[in-house]
Amino acid sequence: MPEGTLCNKKTVDTKEYLDALLADKSGKKYYEEMSHLEVDKEKLKKTLAASMKSRMRAWLDLCSHCALCGDTCFLYLANHRDPTQVPSYKIQSTLGKIVKRNGDVDNEHMRYCMDVAWSKCTCCNRCGSFCPYGIDMGVMFGYLRGLCFSQGFVPWELKIGTGMHRIYHAQMDVTSEDWVETCEWMADEQQEEWPGLEIPVDKVGADLMYTLNAREPKHYPEDIAEAAILFHIAGENWTVPSEGWEQTSLAMFAGDWGACKVMVESVYGAMERLKPKRVLGTECGHAHRATVIEGPYWVGRKDGRPPVEYIHYTEWVAEALRTGKIKIDPDKRIKELVTLQDSCNYIRNYGLADVTREIISYLVEPGYFWRTSPGRSLVTWWSRAISSRCTRTGSTTSAAAAAAVLTASACIASSATWA
Amino acid sequence: MQQLYLFISGPLLWLSFGIFFGGLIYRVVTYIRGLDWQADRVAYQAWPALGLKGALRSIVHWLIPYYSVGWRAKPLYTFIFFVFHIGLVGVPLFLAGHAVIFKERWGVAWPTMSMGLADVLTIGVMAAAVCIVIRRIALPEVRIVTTIYDYFLILVSVTPFVTGFLAVHQAAPDYNLWSIAHVLSGELLLVLIPATKLWHVVGFFLSRGQLGADFGIKRGYKGKGFAW
Repeated sequence: MPEGTLCNKKTVDTKEYLDALLADKSGKKYYEEMSHLEVDKEKLKKTLAASMKSRMRAWLDLCSHCALCGDTCFLYLANHRDPTQVPSYKIQSTLGKIVKRNGDVDNEHMRYCMDVAWSKCTCCNRCGSFCPYGIDMGVMFGYLRGLCFSQGFVPWELKIGTGMHRIYHAQMDVTSEDWVETCEWMADEQQEEWPGLEIPVDKVGADLMYTLNAREPKHYPEDIAEAAILFHIAGENWTVPSEGWEQTSLAMFAGDWGACKVMVESVYGAMERLKPKRVLGTECGHAHRATVIEGPYWVGRKDGRPPVEYIHYTEWVAEALRTGKIKIDPDKRIKELVTLQDSCNYIRNYGLADVTREIISYLVEPGYFWRTSPGRSLVTWWSRAISSRCTRTGSTTSAAAAAAVLTASACIASSATWA
Repeated sequence: MQQLYLFISGPLLWLSFGIFFGGLIYRVVTYIRGLDWQADRVAYQAWPALGLKGALRSIVHWLIPYYSVGWRAKPLYTFIFFVFHIGLVGVPLFLAGHAVIFKERWGVAWPTMSMGLADVLTIGVMAAAVCIVIRRIALPEVRIVTTIYDYFLILVSVTPFVTGFLAVHQAAPDYNLWSIAHVLSGELLLVLIPATKLWHVVGFFLSRGQLGADFGIKRGYKGKGFAW
């Protein structure tokens, strides 16, 4: 079965292979090879038989083609209501066809699947919430990404990203040494303004173990410093692990379930080693989904929960504000109309809607917060439906993350007024 | 004619009900047996109470008009949807003409609705079906996903109502003919329900319940979920 040297069905497990992919500018050769990549139909058929369970088969079968999911998809709305962006069309014309033909599909179809699975769905799961049957196209596109990955049909950037996870246990080439050095550097930098600030590495038994995104040590080390400043002000007993600090997962985006497991095991390993009371993750929604919501299943934890309580950054911010560990001068609350978009990952899939609203209550002057989320009772729905057309909810963008950042900057800005 | 009527309202009816119930039981059993906590990424067994609560909440919200956020997003569609389904389920179950059969054969007293209400609901089913067909043709986002199969299923579902209505009101010249067409089309529907995507008569409860359980387990222990 002919395969390219760059585009093939193999996973990226060596630095040589990773470097070769990186050297192929914009994936030119990679995509050229992909156009000849053969589909292993037998393998596809076997994968379907082993992993296509009753829930997904029922979803594909039951869909009554009502297209109610259309309006729930921001990609459909943003593309001038292009009918080919209707979620049910997208999934039926890709995964639906693979299942109907039991894996007997060609290279062209797999490339079409790749295009739809990665550029026409973000797996935000909003369509599932609005489907009368609860058919979740986001879940199915996640599954389709896995099928595409196993056949070598994965975007070049994500083949690289998942390779990074396999080799560095991080989405970027940040080694453990790089990471620890960055922490030391950032702690040193703050001494003038925040004397005594520490970024404790590998402290056993801390109250909080902090995990984050490799992008921070790689490109934005000041983000680590800002978090450290907040923990310092709040007087937290915290730590970061030298290994297992990376919480994000490009492997999840790529559909490389093997690398997903490696990544989650590395974080859970740090929990076992350092035995923190709680783990705190960065604001990144997909990182939370990867490590807290889906991660437990990848490593086979039957309770579907991480080994230690793992809170989202907004939960910590809300708690710090509630308990007075961090105070915001009420005079400095925002006095302009503010709204909040619910994140798909930690709101829709994790239920933290009240937490982000609690943060808003400290940040925004009462009366300036404009709720766009749906009412829970019929009465509020009607009254809102009459007063505005904004009765829909949810989005894939994460304004709650922005709220957390706002909190941080507001705290720092008002630090002079603290007693 | 009488012989034919006896056959289709006797053995053939029994056979249809047998396929209907047997097929639906098969659907329910295979669905539930196929649920897989790790593949579905839902810890069903670890959190039965959260799962059950989420499932029931979700099902109830979607059974009541305008209760779920999804129904509220599409008010007109929701109205047509419920007119269609209330008639589809209510008329066959509570029609006086059907209750008579229960009474005659097993002596079971069965609650019935008035003929007037049955007529209104039946006309509602037919009118809603027309609206659904128009919607399928008129809206580009529905047209692109619609197949011949979808029209076939609407036809199969509505035929017993059209034929029954004509038979009852004797608008057609031959009562017997419409009666036979009504019984046959009803039996065809019974047989096709488990065999086609019309198995949603149980599939809705399973699938909505599953997603409700999923969200209940994922969100329920942290903050509040929503029923959708």
